[in-house]
Amino acid sequence: MKKSVKDKALKQLLWVGMFSISMFFAGLTSAFIVRKAEGNWTEFILPSWFIYSSIIIVISSLILFFVKRQLRKNASIFNLVFLVFLLGLSFAYFQVQGWNELTTQGVYLTGEGSNVAGSFLYVLTLSHLVHLAGGLIAMLFVSVKSKLNLYSIDNCLGVEIVSIYWHFLALLWLYIFVFLKFV
Amino acid sequence: MSDHHHKETFITKYIFSTDHKMIAKQFLITGMFMAVIGMLMSAIFRVQLANPGEASVLYNLLPGGWLNEDGGLNPDKYLALVTMHGTILVFWVLTAGLSGTFANFLIPLQIGARDMASGFINMLSYWFFFLATVVLLSSLFVESGPASGGWTIYPPLSALPQAIPGSGTGMTLWLYSITLFVVGSLLGGLNYIVTILNLRTKGMSMQRLPLTVWALLITAILGVLSFPVLLSCGLLLLFDRSFGTSFYLSDIIINGEVLHNVGGSPILFEHLFWFLGHPEVYIILLPALGIVSEVIAVNSRKPIFGYKAMVGALLLIAFLSFIVWGHHMFMTGMNPFLGSVFTFTTLLIAIPSAVKVFNYLATLWRANIRFTPAMLFAIGTVSAFITGGLTGLILGDSALDINVHDTYFVVGHFHIVMGLSAIYGMFAGVYHWFPKMYGKMMNKSLGYLHFWGTFICAYGVFFPMHFLGLAGLPRRYYTNSSFPMFDGLADINEIITFFALAGAIVQALFLFNFFYSIFKGTKASANPWKANTLEWTTPVERIHGNWPGDLPVVTRWAYDYSKPGMDEDYVMQNVPLKDGEEEH
Amino acid sequence: MTNLLIALVVILTIAALVQLVRVNELLSEITNTDTNEVTDEDNNKNGIFFLLTIPLFLGFVVWQMVTWDHLLLPPASSVHGAEIDSLMKVSMTLILIVFFALTPMLFFFAYKYRGKKEKKAYFFSHNNKLEVVWTVVPTIILTALIIYGLRTWDRAMNPDLAKSTVIEVYSKQFDWTARYSGADNILGESSYLLVEGKNVLGVDMLDENSGDDVVVREVHLPVNKPVLLKFRSRDVIHSAFLPHFRVQMNCVPGLSTQFGFTPTKTTTQMKESEGEDFEYVLLCNKICGAAHFNMQMKFIVESEEDYNKWINSQKKLKNTLTLK
Repeated sequence: MKKSVKDKALKQLLWVGMFSISMFFAGLTSAFIVRKAEGNWTEFILPSWFIYSSIIIVISSLILFFVKRQLRKNASIFNLVFLVFLLGLSFAYFQVQGWNELTTQGVYLTGEGSNVAGSFLYVLTLSHLVHLAGGLIAMLFVSVKSKLNLYSIDNCLGVEIVSIYWHFLALLWLYIFVFLKFV
Repeated sequence: MSDHHHKETFITKYIFSTDHKMIAKQFLITGMFMAVIGMLMSAIFRVQLANPGEASVLYNLLPGGWLNEDGGLNPDKYLALVTMHGTILVFWVLTAGLSGTFANFLIPLQIGARDMASGFINMLSYWFFFLATVVLLSSLFVESGPASGGWTIYPPLSALPQAIPGSGTGMTLWLYSITLFVVGSLLGGLNYIVTILNLRTKGMSMQRLPLTVWALLITAILGVLSFPVLLSCGLLLLFDRSFGTSFYLSDIIINGEVLHNVGGSPILFEHLFWFLGHPEVYIILLPALGIVSEVIAVNSRKPIFGYKAMVGALLLIAFLSFIVWGHHMFMTGMNPFLGSVFTFTTLLIAIPSAVKVFNYLATLWRANIRFTPAMLFAIGTVSAFITGGLTGLILGDSALDINVHDTYFVVGHFHIVMGLSAIYGMFAGVYHWFPKMYGKMMNKSLGYLHFWGTFICAYGVFFPMHFLGLAGLPRRYYTNSSFPMFDGLADINEIITFFALAGAIVQALFLFNFFYSIFKGTKASANPWKANTLEWTTPVERIHGNWPGDLPVVTRWAYDYSKPGMDEDYVMQNVPLKDGEEEH
Repeated sequence: MTNLLIALVVILTIAALVQLVRVNELLSEITNTDTNEVTDEDNNKNGIFFLLTIPLFLGFVVWQMVTWDHLLLPPASSVHGAEIDSLMKVSMTLILIVFFALTPMLFFFAYKYRGKKEKKAYFFSHNNKLEVVWTVVPTIILTALIIYGLRTWDRAMNPDLAKSTVIEVYSKQFDWTARYSGADNILGESSYLLVEGKNVLGVDMLDENSGDDVVVREVHLPVNKPVLLKFRSRDVIHSAFLPHFRVQMNCVPGLSTQFGFTPTKTTTQMKESEGEDFEYVLLCNKICGAAHFNMQMKFIVESEEDYNKWINSQKKLKNTLTLK
């Protein structure tokens, strides 16, 4: 099939896939809401690490907007995408730090003294991190390819797709963060 | 011209193929294999129900041999059989075997595309499914047995190995298997949607799409929306089982042990599960109805009646299927008002279903019916859909459900709509598209025998179950001999088992016919049924890229059968309009 | 040895089928016909089979209805149950009418319009008026059915609890236990953490309402008096199913559920109409493990006098369970 049709189709495949992933998180967040309404629900303060990680992931997302510009100038995008990869790693680090702080606060996933509110928080954030891991691998892959100068403005489908997915991960995290903060 | 000119090795042609036609056959063969195992399991537990306590030679046939150990069938193993039977038939046969086969085979062919949007992702979808199959079957070889909490795996039963042995390793394997299965299904569904939306050939507008493709598109959308929720449901169960969380568990003492879990609710599981569970049955049914629409039109030599209404009905059924899930939960103690809402939405879904039945009947009216085996099964599907659909009206009414919930009345209902209606649709599809899949014809007489044998036996098995249910007999009982009130039902149970075994044997005719015909069947022509849709314009030998030259250009809808003013009683979709001919 | 025999049977059957099909094909080669082409004769045969299906299939259905009618549950023994039975009669009549109308139509069309070489089908692709009719008519009928159903549901789910005797029904793998709330009609508090030894239900003996509670393994109910059953479970989901009373409710660990009803026929009355062996029984109706098929408890409905005699002769918890 024509390249433009194939590219469009592959992007749509990603969109439908992201929609599926959203439904997975919709399932978790509905379960959260239903369970919370039943009571016996510990309230807790979200660690500030999650604010830092939110900022980091938004920044990493914004950086990706510059990639197209670079490609049009025929410049290397390696610095940009690798930076995004590193920011992604930092995000993961901050998440783990956030979990650590939660445990000092007495909020656990399971075991003595845990409450299902905490369990939900861990499951939600862990699920996001798992999907991010996929994004990190993809971003690493893109970084390697861009180091080898394999992308051009006419041939950058891989970058486009990984970027869309990355934006999705950022938005998904923001949704989870806002949800946890206000619901 | 075909995109790929690579040389095909045995591995790339038959094993790791990216050709949608080969992937379709992989799904079909795997689905058929699992169907045999699933049916064997039902034969075993039907024998147990008719003759409680008597061992059966059938035990030897089940992989894993675990039925013969430790004194044969016992209640735990019985429940394991029932669980695996349900899991295999609902997911492996009627979802993957039905959608996986026909979506993969028909979509590119019927829309005039070379292949799916991504052959690679399509290949992955089969191999995830294959892995899921291996993992599920491996649970048959586990000492504590496979999952045993019913295919609906409600916790706490499915969360606690102390409650039933199968909830140990067997259940863990079940969860991993289903996760792989869902990922595979989603990968497939993505392809189906994107391919239909983007790769239709010139002239193939959405209004000219065959109903089969509409049905497969809507099914894929249903899957994309509902399967992920099963994953979130299963993930929370996994955490409860392996990490001691309390999403679904609370206030439990099991085998004398007080569990630490507090605050969980099994009902939460049921909500999440049935949010997939109900759309799932339409994921099963809609492709079957899509196939039947095609088979009936071709073999009636008439357009399918009410094309637009049929599409509308599919859309309405799909939409409503998301808001009826609570009818599986009427007896959970939910707020009665909520129960009322679900009764209302459930009975509403009867309306588009009825519209479809009326349209099928109108298609047959003043037709010129050619009884191929496929057509016989298509008519069987409509009959079963009427029968099974009507009993749904009883079950969907919350007040009536009080006394039939979880009885054999439900078992009769869902087997008739799924085990008859959907499976007949699958058979119709196999008989109808076999010439296109394998370039050979299946034997017609064996096909007739297969249909009439199955039709008689299947109604013989499942119709009586409604009476068992109205007599108060619960489902998932290892034996019905513990309550004197059910002693009078023993005869009915024997009749059911007789028809079940006879029906199982009749399927041998189909299996024989299928495999024999692949190798020794008479060679088919390109369009043996004289049908209009694009798949019949491809050469018999089947090639990569489907058409040897340019893609066909579509000029009309798929249902110009017996159109006045035309030379033949069929006009293929790529035939240009005659001078003065108007498109329908 | 058995496996060998099974394998032999399978192989021989396949061999036989192969020969049959080969003979069939040879015959067609000789007579120069295509075995797999559907002929007018095939259409006639199958058409007639479909026509025969009408009396045979419908006859089978009627036969089942007639032969097995006496095996079905007897008329309901409760107030709301009688209403459910009426709703069931109406609903069943409706679906049977539709079934007996549509099924013969389907098979008759299959027969009447069986294919003939010289015939042509009638190109009739749609009719909007027809679509409207067969959408609106079922909608009206179903709406009426829904309204009727919801009223019955509402009455079953919202009984008058003011005068109900409260009885707890406690489920576990694999039996039932009942606890009467005693003269104060209030059940003593309970918790799974208090289950120990004789205190099978985990009753909190420090609660003042517990002392007059009565724990039994057989439930007696006074006829025509409303009762509220409250359900609990110790381990997995069970379901309390009392088919004769049209009562069913899941018993979920961590939750409490309930169902209120009024029994209207005594066990003695039922024995007269259904036979000496009749007993009301409580069954488990949600898969709960190995002995799911044998979780039962007897229910007895008797006159108020007999009931009072019985309940007053039972030991109260304050006498059977000592405080730790």
